[in-house]
Amino acid sequence: MITAERKPLEEILAYIKPFKRILLLGCNECVTVCAAGGRKEVGVLASGLQMSRLKDGSSIDIREHTLERQCDPEYVEELVPMIDSADAVLSMACGCGVQQLAMRFRDKPVFPAVNTKFMGGSDRHGVWTERCQGCGDCLLGLTGGICPIAKCAKHLMNGPCGGSAGGVCEIGDDVDCAWHLIWERLKALGLTDQYMEIMPAKDWRPAGGGGPRKIIREDLAE
Amino acid sequence: MQNLDRSHTSKPVLVVGGGLGGIRTALDLAEADKNVVLVDTAHNIGGLMTQLDRTFPTNNCDLCTLAPNLSESNRQEHIKLMAMTRVEAVSGEKGNFKVSLKTEPRYINLDKCTGCGECLKAFPECVTFTPGLDHRAPTCMRYPQATPQAYSIDLTRCGDVEALVKCCPTGAINPDDLGSRGDVACSSIVLAPGASLFDPSGLDYLGYSDHVDVVTSLEYERLLSASGPTSGRLLRPSTGEPPKRVAWIQCIGSRGLQRGAAPYCSGACCMFALKEAMVSKERFREDIETTIFYMDMRTFGKDYERYYQRAKNEFGVRFIHSRPHSVLMNEASGGIVLGYTTDDTPKLLSEAFDMVVLSIGFRIGDEMRSLATMLGIDVNDSSFPVHPGLNQVETTRPGIYVAGAFEAPKDIPETMVQASAAACMAGKDVIPLEKEIEEAPALPLERNVVGEQPRVGVFICDCGENIGSVIDVEKLAERVSVFEHVAVAMAAGHGCSRESMEQIRQTIEEQEINRVVIGGCSPRTHEAKFQDLIRKAGLNKYLLEFANIRDQVTWVHSHQPEKAMAKAEDLLKMAVGAVCKAHPLAEHSLPINKNVLVIGGGVAGMTASLELADQGFRVYLVEQSNRLGGIAANLKRTLEGHDVQAFVHNLIERTQSHDSIEVIMGGMIVDHTGMPGMFTTGMQVGRQMFYRQIEHGVTILATGALPNRPNLFGLGTGKQIVTQLDLQTTIHDDPEKVRSWENVVMIQCVGSRTEDNPNCSRICCQNAVKNALHLLDVNPDVRIFVLYRDMRTYAFQEEYYQKARERGVIFVRYQQDQPPQVKLVGDHVEVTYRDIILGRDVKVTADCLCLSTGLIANEDSNEEMARIFKLPRSEDGYFLEDHIKLRPVDLPVPGFFVAGTAHAPKLISESLVQARAVASRAQTILARDAINLGAATAKVDGKLCAACLICVRACPFNVPFINADGYSEIDPAKCHGCGICAAECPAKAIQLMQFEDDMIISKLEQLFEKVEA
Amino acid sequence: MKEQFEPVIVAFCCHYCAYTAADMAGSQRLVYPPNVKIIRVPCSGKVDSIHILKAFEKGADGVYVAGCLDGDCHFKNGNDKASRKVAQMMRYLEEIGIEPERLEMVKMSAGMGERFARIATEMTEKIRKLGPSPIKAAAA
Repeated sequence: MITAERKPLEEILAYIKPFKRILLLGCNECVTVCAAGGRKEVGVLASGLQMSRLKDGSSIDIREHTLERQCDPEYVEELVPMIDSADAVLSMACGCGVQQLAMRFRDKPVFPAVNTKFMGGSDRHGVWTERCQGCGDCLLGLTGGICPIAKCAKHLMNGPCGGSAGGVCEIGDDVDCAWHLIWERLKALGLTDQYMEIMPAKDWRPAGGGGPRKIIREDLAE
Repeated sequence: MQNLDRSHTSKPVLVVGGGLGGIRTALDLAEADKNVVLVDTAHNIGGLMTQLDRTFPTNNCDLCTLAPNLSESNRQEHIKLMAMTRVEAVSGEKGNFKVSLKTEPRYINLDKCTGCGECLKAFPECVTFTPGLDHRAPTCMRYPQATPQAYSIDLTRCGDVEALVKCCPTGAINPDDLGSRGDVACSSIVLAPGASLFDPSGLDYLGYSDHVDVVTSLEYERLLSASGPTSGRLLRPSTGEPPKRVAWIQCIGSRGLQRGAAPYCSGACCMFALKEAMVSKERFREDIETTIFYMDMRTFGKDYERYYQRAKNEFGVRFIHSRPHSVLMNEASGGIVLGYTTDDTPKLLSEAFDMVVLSIGFRIGDEMRSLATMLGIDVNDSSFPVHPGLNQVETTRPGIYVAGAFEAPKDIPETMVQASAAACMAGKDVIPLEKEIEEAPALPLERNVVGEQPRVGVFICDCGENIGSVIDVEKLAERVSVFEHVAVAMAAGHGCSRESMEQIRQTIEEQEINRVVIGGCSPRTHEAKFQDLIRKAGLNKYLLEFANIRDQVTWVHSHQPEKAMAKAEDLLKMAVGAVCKAHPLAEHSLPINKNVLVIGGGVAGMTASLELADQGFRVYLVEQSNRLGGIAANLKRTLEGHDVQAFVHNLIERTQSHDSIEVIMGGMIVDHTGMPGMFTTGMQVGRQMFYRQIEHGVTILATGALPNRPNLFGLGTGKQIVTQLDLQTTIHDDPEKVRSWENVVMIQCVGSRTEDNPNCSRICCQNAVKNALHLLDVNPDVRIFVLYRDMRTYAFQEEYYQKARERGVIFVRYQQDQPPQVKLVGDHVEVTYRDIILGRDVKVTADCLCLSTGLIANEDSNEEMARIFKLPRSEDGYFLEDHIKLRPVDLPVPGFFVAGTAHAPKLISESLVQARAVASRAQTILARDAINLGAATAKVDGKLCAACLICVRACPFNVPFINADGYSEIDPAKCHGCGICAAECPAKAIQLMQFEDDMIISKLEQLFEKVEA
Repeated sequence: MKEQFEPVIVAFCCHYCAYTAADMAGSQRLVYPPNVKIIRVPCSGKVDSIHILKAFEKGADGVYVAGCLDGDCHFKNGNDKASRKVAQMMRYLEEIGIEPERLEMVKMSAGMGERFARIATEMTEKIRKLGPSPIKAAAA
């Protein structure tokens, strides 16, 4: 899932400063699951924005709405009847959703209310960690199911650097060394031979180095 | 005397004593559809527990856990409660007793008294109060949730009776009350009058009479209690300063230690002292030092040993194994000096303390002694009733049963278990008459109000002076009447009086009111009453809101009447706003399957099966092995000398021949579905493992425990090293061998109270004493050494322990970190132990080394059961009950109960009590035709749900799950109604019925409406 | 003399402990300021961040959530969840520009009528010193 976190209120307030009527949009997918931009966070932000204005003696007209999924055009169509009564749109979806809105409503200012963080999963209630950077050429099959690109700050491909000590990365005590984890896991699987094989330099083109990426399913696309 | 003749139904059970035990017995019987007369000599029921601050081992406050029990008790239609009443005579026999009762005058008409306290304000000297440490408690009601919720008057102290009568706004005071006398016919009698406490004032060396800072454990409890004389601030009585050093002295008045002391162990005082020391530590942390002087720490209950270890290791409570010989006043400092010695030094020690707490034991008082005499039941030397067989709740007079501390000293959970067991026994004596079809008052059909504009009826009580003296209720009603959606607003006098209720009902019907607000007292006490009322008026129960303008307005803001008025108006406005958003809610109910599944064919399982089968329920008894009887089948006799073999054989025969019991041998539970009242459990049976399903309404787990056989002290390396279980068989089957022995050594706590198995196995100390005495019977010349850590011969077992000492058994303490050393030498075994007092090692060459290995949970089977039935277990693998104190045999999943050693290690007689207790608890469900699950449950809107799992993770009870349709589902039968999921749901897809978000937001909007305007 | 500022304070009280403690304060006839208005919830864990915010948005000068003592929650850990939520909302209030001290989490047992009254008094005094909430002040 894509994770996100609400932007500082100050930044959001700066975006919407000139506007009186705001359409505040949540998304019922990833950002709901990571508690950043679902119906509830929309309510929390709306109230916070309203109070920020009220305390300055003004007020703001906020319409709250949450779409099933902001990154799909059909769902975004749902906004057509309400878009005209808004001066600007504030989206709590990930960057994909924000862009979908900007594409659809070309004459309407659209602002993000969250920072899209990473592709990850939840470790436990309330904790999410990065798991994937979408490199376009998955090598988890070679690394015991642990990603050295997402989990190693240097994206190293052939074992740890000198900053790995006692299984911990030098950038912080709470960061595990990805290559240490990989080694332990391969050992447990009896696949240490796999570790000894040298991986060639990674081709970063499928990771976005070759420009914006696109998937076309020939059988589906008309 | 009111008419107690219930000849049109069966005769009631008389329950004597309205403490926790008596209340439990009465509630169990009432819920099983039997009538009860509950008498207590005190003004209000609740007994000793209402005086406690917190209880072990949870250190929770009691008031909140007990209070719902009491008000539940008050509302049961099957229970007639008679306070200030004693039994004067009993005649007749089981099934047909005649009991003469005498009720003392209260001088207050209970039907009229609202507990407003006007009489107390006007005549504080003659409104009775509870004696305690304080010379002037704030009210005569022991605590604010007292039942009956009424005062009582001491007329002898009143100078002006006429004025006293006049001061009561409801005219409840009746100076001509003469009390009453009357006879009641009953089927059986349960005695649960509790016990008294030892009075230490006769023991001058303890200084109790001389120093105010020497207090009893109960007095210390009152000092800690929020409802006590110091409002929960622990202060030294002499100085009013917080004490810095407090000492507890154990066994005061127990274990035959002092002049006038009883020979038995009072069983609960060790835990009581631990709790007081821990609570003191919790509150004052480093500012207080706590020391417990003890003989043996007897923490033998379920998980109590862990509690002891926590006190020692986490809370830093200090333990000194010593009995102080003097408690003296230090004139100079004003403190107290304790004189004592310890095991490891010959010196006399002395130490200064600010307060000394005497852990006083239980005692049968004169009143209870004469009760026993009057009833003609046999008692032991200490005046406790004796039971003829293994059934602890029976007395020598058929039809009369006992429960609680009156039976033997015990703590609250054991009292609760016995109380339920007594209910089971007493209920059997009630001869059910042909059930006449009772004319149930037909309820009108519920009006459909969905879609109607709200028409709110607001009824405001004056509650006599309680509300009316502070605010003008008529004027308030006038102001409220202009609120949006309010159709009627009127003053309702005493809203809960019969006349007012009738008037409210009529108004609702005539004015077509579709939502109701009551402005008055607390919904905690009166919501159910008004819910019933509006239901009678044709409205759904949940179209009701309360504005608590008494407890939370007039009672607390009487000094600012104008502001009180404004606040009352605000609260009513909020209630109106919320009730407009209320929805009619359906209470969930399910039909009940009246069959019972009992798992485990030991003594507990068989006894529970028989009790329920005797009451006409169909029982399926599933036993995993191929024989009935469990561990007890290997036992020969009890400490008291009962023949266990004969008992077990008889039990097996009765179980197998009972028409309503089907015994399923070799049955393994494999799956389980359903809800309480309609479970389906699948099992594989016999060698062919053929699959079979059983439908049942309740489930009883009596799966037992296993005898422990740890590889310690050479167990299994030579035939001269055995367990207590082996030894009793040898004594019984091969007395010749025993006669040849010269020395026998027993080691206690083998595999118990260790790191691997931190809990106490409870049964081993009495086992050692039992086998030692039996050995001496067979071979009077044998020398027996018992190496122990703490001898835990609780209650009357203590007397057998003393007897063993008198007969020459040598008891030697050993320290956990210096265990005895064991070496096999030929046919013998050499045991070397450290004698703490001599300070040197002692070597004994024994013919037999007997290890007290106790019991351990059946890990494999319990883990499997816990998984199949979704039941929690304690850390050491036993099943975990729903509430350690108050619901000790109910499991957290409704409809599940636990009995016997599947709960924790215990004796046969204790397992039998639990078996009967679960039979009683099961009947409270089986007696009903349907189960009402209430309406305040969480509901998911599947269209909004993002299946994010946040509710699944947040729910404290693991109820929500993502269903096959891909959204969260919450089973209303399992939902506890806390609303945590609703608060955490990021998609706002969950609402808690009765507390929906729009109701809460509406309250806020209403409250601030005028601010915005 | 200027009339004394009377704050409006909303207290979300759990049914089992804090609400019962409030009733207890009543039966002991303890006196506390009438500024506190109680909203009953089954558990303090039921209180939603939005409820807290809406209270301030509508004009509350102070809000507190009152639950059971640590370890005493009738729903196991609802009070802990409430504490964390309140802490989170205090940080948010600061972002908005409202003094976080206007919000508080308190814990008490059902028997602590006196504590209920004391907290109501202290909270009222504290908010009175802080003055009207910035939202109300701006509207005035």
